[in-house]
Amino acid sequence: MKLVWKLLRQHISIGQFAGFTLANLIGMLIILLGVQFYQDVSSIFSSRESFMKKDYIVVTKQVSTASTFGKSSAFSRKDVKDLKEQPFAKSVGSFQPSDFQVSATMGMKDLGVAFTTEMFFESVEDEYVDFNSSQWSFTPGQESIPIILPRNYLNLYNFGFAQTRGLPKISEGVISMITLGIDIRGVANRAHYEGNIVGFSNRLNTILVPQSFMEWANQEYGTGNPAQPSRLILEVYNPTDDAIAKYFKEKKYETEDDKLEQGKTTWFLKIIVMIVMAVGVLITILALYILMLSVYLLVQKNTTKLENLLLIGYSPARVAMPYQLLTLGLNVLVLIIAIVLLVVVRAQYLQLLQALYPDLLIGGISTAVMVGVGIFVVVSLLNLWAIRQKVATIWKRKD
Amino acid sequence: MQNIHLIEALPKVFEERRTSMKSDVWLQNLTLEKGKLYLVEAASGTGKSSLCSYIFGYREDFSGQITFDGKDINTLKVHQWVELRKRSLSILWQELRLFPELTALENVQIKNKLTGYQTDKQIEEWFDMLGIADKLQAKIGRMSFGQQQRVAMIRALCQPFDFIFADEPVSHLDEGNSNIMGQIMMTEAKKQGAGVIVTSIGKHIDLNYERVLKL
Repeated sequence: MKLVWKLLRQHISIGQFAGFTLANLIGMLIILLGVQFYQDVSSIFSSRESFMKKDYIVVTKQVSTASTFGKSSAFSRKDVKDLKEQPFAKSVGSFQPSDFQVSATMGMKDLGVAFTTEMFFESVEDEYVDFNSSQWSFTPGQESIPIILPRNYLNLYNFGFAQTRGLPKISEGVISMITLGIDIRGVANRAHYEGNIVGFSNRLNTILVPQSFMEWANQEYGTGNPAQPSRLILEVYNPTDDAIAKYFKEKKYETEDDKLEQGKTTWFLKIIVMIVMAVGVLITILALYILMLSVYLLVQKNTTKLENLLLIGYSPARVAMPYQLLTLGLNVLVLIIAIVLLVVVRAQYLQLLQALYPDLLIGGISTAVMVGVGIFVVVSLLNLWAIRQKVATIWKRKD
Repeated sequence: MQNIHLIEALPKVFEERRTSMKSDVWLQNLTLEKGKLYLVEAASGTGKSSLCSYIFGYREDFSGQITFDGKDINTLKVHQWVELRKRSLSILWQELRLFPELTALENVQIKNKLTGYQTDKQIEEWFDMLGIADKLQAKIGRMSFGQQQRVAMIRALCQPFDFIFADEPVSHLDEGNSNIMGQIMMTEAKKQGAGVIVTSIGKHIDLNYERVLKL
């Protein structure tokens, strides 16, 4: 093998192989970075609320002057039915408002530092809240109510209240351990409960309680005349669907959050990443082409040697092996360097992303590495096959 | 392999001379048998090297049929040829087909490492007998053609074979070296019970040929 290599390494052009390695490295790195960046960034755009269903939109009616003067901004049954029949709608749920007054207290009452706010409860059907029933349920007599708070409340406390009062900031983890004081004032009676915070929501500007609690409490404390839902929760197949925006415009509905915009941003992100990856794939293909040309040229220059080796009893497989090992070695090198560079570059942009989004969930690089290994396998198999074919043409003396 | 059988074989380039062809090989029914010694005498341009190329599966541009133990060589697969070249057929090509980048010893070793047939000691002994012991480490490219012919012969002996072909093996050798080479080749061939086919365009090794064929 050593002697065969000594023979066949003749005419190897370092320039050509360096060119291939570099081009292949650039192609591979672009693809891996595309995959990795998409993975890292898409978590920013996609919903970070693991306890809510993925593609939902909160719908309200536009508040007009007329509605201020009595015209209802609530959704009628007909509105709901119509929305349900739209092709983009997967399911529609309604927010059931509380028929009693609620105030919540956060802070340490014993120290005299408390942050109280008037608010209201709302609930949606349990199917929209992805908690198991033991966490997200209420039975009469229970002292504590599971609730989902808007993240704004925490921000308001941390960046407004706590900062000006010189109080320590509270993380989500800590606040989840603190219970919230809930005071309910009904028509005839009032009660105190403990609110057990099970999650924070960026997109639900309400205090969400289980449907089971709401139904019971409205009867217990309410006027007996519960309000129509003024907000709907709409689960859609595809938030980027144009039909949604059109329908909303026509009906003068509004969405409370920027889910539609987010959907579009994610879509654009996908397109951009796909373009970048396509460039990467193109470069990789060109690199493969360079390598093939180099190997063909090399085999061509060493034709006599290869032919003589075959004539003294070397098999085509054995003769092809040095070149196959050479390209395989280069491919492994490219894969390793690409992964190392990926880690380095990622560390750079992650710093920036983390500064912008402190609670960004950071995953691993396993997908990108798997894509890299996949490219390596495909490129290597093509290389091995092409070299073998080239040697076969020498055996057959067909050029 | 016991025999090589040529049935009406003719190089395609000779096709137009088919009717006037007078040869002991072409267009004949000729069997080369294992254990026998043949001399193929030929004027240049009569297809001597073509014959070797056909039998080694290097070229296929002939009509008629060539068989090994009755098996048509045109039906042989790549791996079968590889095995034949390693275990059954050996040749000293007229153009030698040595590797100029390697030393004399390396040229022999590249074959012997493949077959593992001869000992290093035996190889060195042959170098010594053929008077090129001092050239073991010399690059083939820097050796004379006569010296290269001797290296090529040693390489040809580094494998088991049923038939050995020597295509003008001594064209550039003096009589002394030519006889030594003949001796070495015949000793090795007898040891293996192999058939020997020597070609020549005039000058040839002085051996007891059992059959002389005019090409």
